[in-house]
Amino acid sequence: MSVIAFILLGSVVLLPAAGLLALRWATSTGQFRCPDKAALLPFDEVEPVGLETDRILGGNRR
Amino acid sequence: MINQSQTLRALLPGDALTGGGIDGGNKAALAEIDASCRVPVLFFFLSGLAWLLAGTVLALVASIKLHTPGFLAGWEWLTFSNVRTAHLNTVIYGFASQISVGVTIWLMCRLCRIPLVAPGLITVANLFYNLGVTVGVGGILLGDSTAIEWLEMPRYATPILFISYALIAVWTLVTFRLRAERHLYVSQWYLLAAVLWFPWLYGTAQVMLLIEPVRGVVQAAVNWWFAHNVLGLWFTPIGLASIYYFIPKVIGRPIHSYYLSVLGFWSLALFYNWNGMHHLVGGPLPAWMITVSIVASVMMLIPVITVAINHHFTMVGHFGKLKYSPTLRFMVFGAVSYTLASLQGVASAVRSVSEVTHFTHHTIAHAHLGMYAFFTMVMFGAMYYILPRITQREWPSTGLISLHFWGVALGIVLYVVPMSIMGFIQGTMLNDAAVRFLDVVQFTLPWLKLRTLAGLLLAAGHVAFVLNVGWLLVRMFEPYRKPVVRILTGEAETVAAGK
Repeated sequence: MSVIAFILLGSVVLLPAAGLLALRWATSTGQFRCPDKAALLPFDEVEPVGLETDRILGGNRR
Repeated sequence: MINQSQTLRALLPGDALTGGGIDGGNKAALAEIDASCRVPVLFFFLSGLAWLLAGTVLALVASIKLHTPGFLAGWEWLTFSNVRTAHLNTVIYGFASQISVGVTIWLMCRLCRIPLVAPGLITVANLFYNLGVTVGVGGILLGDSTAIEWLEMPRYATPILFISYALIAVWTLVTFRLRAERHLYVSQWYLLAAVLWFPWLYGTAQVMLLIEPVRGVVQAAVNWWFAHNVLGLWFTPIGLASIYYFIPKVIGRPIHSYYLSVLGFWSLALFYNWNGMHHLVGGPLPAWMITVSIVASVMMLIPVITVAINHHFTMVGHFGKLKYSPTLRFMVFGAVSYTLASLQGVASAVRSVSEVTHFTHHTIAHAHLGMYAFFTMVMFGAMYYILPRITQREWPSTGLISLHFWGVALGIVLYVVPMSIMGFIQGTMLNDAAVRFLDVVQFTLPWLKLRTLAGLLLAAGHVAFVLNVGWLLVRMFEPYRKPVVRILTGEAETVAAGK
């Protein structure tokens, strides 16, 4: 029964607490402050916005 | 206090941290990141694809047995219950989870902008993983199934898998800690959450159902809490993380609304965990437990609609690119299927609908709409993007790509649509006391044969994909081939095909 109690405690207390801590960390480090900047994170100088990066079908291949 | 960049410089070979970026910080070159991921990601992809082929064969055998019970009837280890269970565990744990980990590794390295760290850790995780799945599926076929849905692998297999999950979670946290890009993209939120949620789900369910079992109907509650959350808190976040990365990346356009994407993540985290008990409508549980679950299921409309709006408006004006990009085709097919599967799931959670559909093929269709039409299609799309980059080779055959896409797309539509309709009719017949059970069974037979046909289409697609991957690997081992730049740069006409 002690193992079950530990798991329930972990589920009920620790996980929501971890979620709240993650949310607090995100707000304190400005993760939600610049959405336009965050949306650009998949792009960089090599593969910038405006560049298609997967164009392999369409008749010019064998 | 150790500077993060100094730590990285100590860990990484050569001049890995070159180049600027959004923050102006040090970031590794994309090619070096891709090269560092090659071996571990290939390990996960190739072993996942091997399990996909095994799972496909098991699925076909199970499907044929449903309308032709005498098929392979002389092989006791291939009874329907063994084969169906082995199929589920093979494709969920052997295929889908391993491809998920491969995609997670590559995405984390790309978005953290660092080459792969601790390759030994992730390789050991892969070895443990495949050992665990082999022992687990072998045990099921030998009759050692636990008979707990989605947790059928025998007890002696699960610690091996748990070690692997834990190592993968540790690796992801280490990569996150060492990241060169301080800002998080929404895909990283999903990936980090998934790799932490799953070991927790798996460990909790193992302890509460197998190691120190809870009593009575609580077992059913724990079982469905786990089984439903495997979909929603393991596969769904990784699928959505992939869509949020690959659609913008392929079309060269940022997502429509970053705010909406974050709202989608946090509402999924808040509501999904409560959903599982809607599978127990009519069961001997306290009514409030099931009601809470139904309410949470309906609340899932928030993240689902959020994600659907975001994906659709990101794609507006770019649908023509579906003609040229296999990644985009699979991703968009998966994204649309996510919306449909979620809406079907919400509808099925409502008591009046569940009372008709629950013990029918409608549930099987729904599971395949979610796990295949959404998740597997997204993973195929991700592999089409990642494999050429980590191998530095173009896909050898566009014909095989087309065969793969149309085989699996037609196959899954032919599977899900008729089975959903048939399941609903089957449910109404089962609920009618005037209809004999044998009549219900006979009614399903033609539909089940159609399901086998759909399975053959899916199998053809899988074989085409595996052949193309094998051909790609053969090219990788050729002595020298000038790097092909078309996929990497998007310049469709500048293929360097010389040796």
